[in-house]
Amino acid sequence: MTKPQTPLSDEELIGYFHDALPPEARALVEARLAGDAEAQARLADWAAQDAAIGALYDGPAHAPVPERLTGVLRRPAPRRGRAPLRLAAALALLAVGGAGGWLGHARLAPANGAVDLAEAALTAHGTYVVEVIHPIEVPATQREHLDTWMSKRMGTQMRPPDLAASGFALMGGRILPSGDGPAGLYMYENADGKRITLYISPQRDEADSAFEYAGHGPTQSLYWKDGGLGYAVVGDMPRDRLRDLAIEAYDQLL
Amino acid sequence: MSILDEIEAQIPALRRYAHALMRDAEAGDDLVQDCLERAVAHHRARRPDGSLKAWLFSILINRHRDLMRRAPRPGHLVAVDDLAVEPSRPPGQEDHMALRETGAAIARLPDDQRRALLLVVLEGASFAEAATALDIPMGTLMSRLARAREALRGMTGRERPNRSTPDRHPAGRPDR
Repeated sequence: MTKPQTPLSDEELIGYFHDALPPEARALVEARLAGDAEAQARLADWAAQDAAIGALYDGPAHAPVPERLTGVLRRPAPRRGRAPLRLAAALALLAVGGAGGWLGHARLAPANGAVDLAEAALTAHGTYVVEVIHPIEVPATQREHLDTWMSKRMGTQMRPPDLAASGFALMGGRILPSGDGPAGLYMYENADGKRITLYISPQRDEADSAFEYAGHGPTQSLYWKDGGLGYAVVGDMPRDRLRDLAIEAYDQLL
Repeated sequence: MSILDEIEAQIPALRRYAHALMRDAEAGDDLVQDCLERAVAHHRARRPDGSLKAWLFSILINRHRDLMRRAPRPGHLVAVDDLAVEPSRPPGQEDHMALRETGAAIARLPDDQRRALLLVVLEGASFAEAATALDIPMGTLMSRLARAREALRGMTGRERPNRSTPDRHPAGRPDR
């Protein structure tokens, strides 16, 4: 038997195991496997894992599909106001609990308006983006009503920007409380189900500001202040992508 | 075959994946329903290239990410006895223990590893399909799968500490 050589890396083994290697690389791994008992043991365990995963989880693929799922495809358009989704509702409730703490904190510490703006926008995003049934209060299908209502509550002309060029369609909007009066939240969604929000709130401090970033893990916010209003675009995406969206929104909000 | 028929044909696979991700049949069907509503609303805006299946799974995965983002960490821990997903076929007593052990270990994997592992193993997605649906590079997918599998081995006591792995050379080997 040959001398032990460089042990097979996890990536080589994973590629081999899932049959994703070109024939030549596959043959090389096979040759090295012969002298690598540790790697052989790992492959055997991985095969056992796959068998267990199949035995545990394969069932639903062979079970009858409930009517509530096939029904979604038979309706002309998704209907709102069905039985609430337990999980989403619970999570949203949880997020609201967190938001209360955050917003309360923001009201007590009005020193840095810009940070408040970013925090409020991130909180609002996290609260409503998980919502399935009521992510928004007024849907985009009632566009005229949406604009009239939000403009009236905010005390200024409110028109959500059109982000279709970036693939995001307006879902609708809602009014939220904020430290300096009612704030507005617009939600958009792309074809892959990714959601972004645009948060707009009145600012006591009327000074304009440049674009700034804030974020919690994968969720990023890009915010700015302009003409007594604060704006924040929030989403789970790289900053340059978010910046493009913010610029698209900014140009239309001028 | 209309686009809606094609979507309908994917429901069994979507359910299998969603039930395994959520470890609960009801919550899994909620996730699938959410995914289907999005698919119906957006299928006209979908890029015509790429497979319908990968697109449906990417919607479901995006919704799962949204849901899990706000879930507290303890929500990911499920007592072994509470596992709502019953084995598909009745195994022998010893097998049953091993299955429950594996199920509990999978429940403890980080979400991103669980999504990747189940997509490849349970759904039989190729690396390219899985990387597309998860919206990650292929290399990230492979290291995620490797980490998931090693974590499962660790949690189910399959690692053999007495047979130590040969030295992993740290980054920057001098001889190449």
